[in-house]
Amino acid sequence: MAKKEKELISVPITVDVPYRFAAGKYMTKFLMELKNNGKILAIKCPKCGRVQLPPRIVCAACHVKNDEWVELSNEGTLVGFTIMYIPLTDPTTGKPHKPPFVYGSVRLDGATSVLDHLVNIEPTMDKVWVGMRCKVVLRPQKDRIGDLSDIRYLEPLPGQKKPREQRSYKDKEQ
Amino acid sequence: MTEDKAYEPFEVDQHITANSTYYAGDMGSRFYIALRDKRKILGVRCPKCNKVYWPPRSTCGICFSKLSEMVEIGPCGTLETFTLVTYSEPVHPRKAPFIYGIVKLDGADTGMAHFIDEVDFSKIHIGMRVRPVFAKERKGNILDIQYFKPI
Amino acid sequence: MKRNVAIIGGGQTYHAARRHDVNQVEMTNEAIRRALDDAQMTIDEIDAVLVSNMEFFEGTHMTDCWMVDGSGAYGKPGLKITTGGTVGATTVCAGAHHVASGLFDKVLCVAFEKQEEGDTGAILSGVAHPLWGRSMAGAAVGYFAMMGSSYMAAWGAKEEHSAMVAVKARQNARKNKYAHLKLDITIEDALNSRMLSWPIRMLDMCPASNGACAMILADEKTAKDRCKKPVWIRAMETAHNEQFELDWRDAKTKRPIFSKVCASRIYKKLGVKNPAKYFDVFEIYEPATWTEIVWYEDLGLCKPGEGFRLIEKGMTNIDGPIPVNPSGGVLSTNCIGASAMLRVWEAALQIRGDAGGHQVPKDVNRALTTAYGGTNWAVMTALSKTLD
Repeated sequence: MAKKEKELISVPITVDVPYRFAAGKYMTKFLMELKNNGKILAIKCPKCGRVQLPPRIVCAACHVKNDEWVELSNEGTLVGFTIMYIPLTDPTTGKPHKPPFVYGSVRLDGATSVLDHLVNIEPTMDKVWVGMRCKVVLRPQKDRIGDLSDIRYLEPLPGQKKPREQRSYKDKEQ
Repeated sequence: MTEDKAYEPFEVDQHITANSTYYAGDMGSRFYIALRDKRKILGVRCPKCNKVYWPPRSTCGICFSKLSEMVEIGPCGTLETFTLVTYSEPVHPRKAPFIYGIVKLDGADTGMAHFIDEVDFSKIHIGMRVRPVFAKERKGNILDIQYFKPI
Repeated sequence: MKRNVAIIGGGQTYHAARRHDVNQVEMTNEAIRRALDDAQMTIDEIDAVLVSNMEFFEGTHMTDCWMVDGSGAYGKPGLKITTGGTVGATTVCAGAHHVASGLFDKVLCVAFEKQEEGDTGAILSGVAHPLWGRSMAGAAVGYFAMMGSSYMAAWGAKEEHSAMVAVKARQNARKNKYAHLKLDITIEDALNSRMLSWPIRMLDMCPASNGACAMILADEKTAKDRCKKPVWIRAMETAHNEQFELDWRDAKTKRPIFSKVCASRIYKKLGVKNPAKYFDVFEIYEPATWTEIVWYEDLGLCKPGEGFRLIEKGMTNIDGPIPVNPSGGVLSTNCIGASAMLRVWEAALQIRGDAGGHQVPKDVNRALTTAYGGTNWAVMTALSKTLD
């Protein structure tokens, strides 16, 4: 008789963890201004002058209270990006983001910090590059809920071309 | 710009769902297979400490010996302690009310936590002798024992 | 340090995507027994047990309590540490502090992760702020992808350079009997592997591994009495970045970011002027290819913007002048809770001359290890053969 492979037992377990999260003073102000008035507010450190996003009560570098609110432009520059080919699950909804899509990091004019978000552009390498100018597109006011997803996506400003030196391996392939 | 406006506290309800699969390993697999296929309850003996542990484990926590001697324990045992659970939680495999106890199976030196059923709560007592009721369809998990009941 | 601390023994499991034959405790116990054998010590002689694990990555909580039998912690003092990718190195630091303080002479540090059992992506999403990015979280790969795109745009590096890192790691792993991804691959293979998140391809990323590592740390007297080849922990350093500021991705940032701060502090402690000459081998934490290139620069092994030239010239090969990750690194083996401890243990093996197939072909007197954890901090450990 052939030797049977040893059976090994496993148990599937699913854990669902509900939680209630309090946004806190500064994040609440940011989210409510975004939701109600379509404004993107950042906070400026009185000591080092960094304009921080999202707004937070203490400047981590200077250990002083941030108290100067600054309204940012809705335009900025892409400092990094990726074309995502994996169907990432949104852990807050359980639904996947359908790939491929462009995800980028934008520095809004006037900000020190960057903001990561979806970029509404065809996911091909000749359409996206570091240094591309983008603008923030919000959801209509009635659909906004007080979340970063109230920003629908970033959108490239028209009339730009990818610089030659950023072309790379199999640029057209993907 | 200063904080010129008061904002209502803002809270959100979210949740994170995580799936996992626990592998019972060498000793655990032997225990569950014996329970499922033969309705036998296995423990493991430490020859150095002369103790029989349930659940079976590969290392003796007391003397750090490698363990390999599986021994049959029970199926009957003695109730060491108990409680009546009167609230329900999604993680409970049963709806409240139910009785939960620790049973020291005959031949074992450690107890097993399980349900106690077919008994009036006013009659239940520490030291009561109990025996297991096995599930008809056994799947290789601890609910292959449905519960313990008085002998 | 108040007292000198040495690594007097260690051990690891083989690392693999599947370990159905053992449960978490049994797997970890394999590494512990190897460490005790290596140190020629029994568990009774150990004064405290520290556990390193990203709990819930394998679906279980309170893992230190779960595994008291297998870890040997029964009746002993100890604790569990959970600091992300850095955790294995943090646990070595904590162990060294236990010994250096004079309160303990022999401390067992245990690290494990059984990644296949849980949903690391879902649990990791809890790292992101619930209202600022959690809905897009679960993607370490996206973070490293943006680091790659930023780096290429800043310095003119190409995808071929990250492919060279991918190849070096897996070819080194083939020499390491414990490594997970022992792949005989070429640059073309790396460039043709499946795209995950441009410019990160399958072979640019670390695997999800199951495995464990254990190390025994001791005071100077015990080390000299009991151990033929003690490896001394000469300096440790930890630096955090601030929340939300992801500047490690930003190739040209002028800010004092955690990786550079950590390196400059540990160099200052040791009086290091030229790290590429001072250290004989590096074991760094590179979950993605681009992080290795960025580490070269942050560690001062080259000037900013020249990291990709180091890999291009083969400087960091196993037989190069600045060997980096002869073990195959995190790119070849990533059992998260143990990955950073493996860096320290692999560096110790190089100093002892016991690395076997992946021993670097030169005298190794000093080694530097790094660890990286999201959301942005670093732990570094410097080791040496002698106390001079």
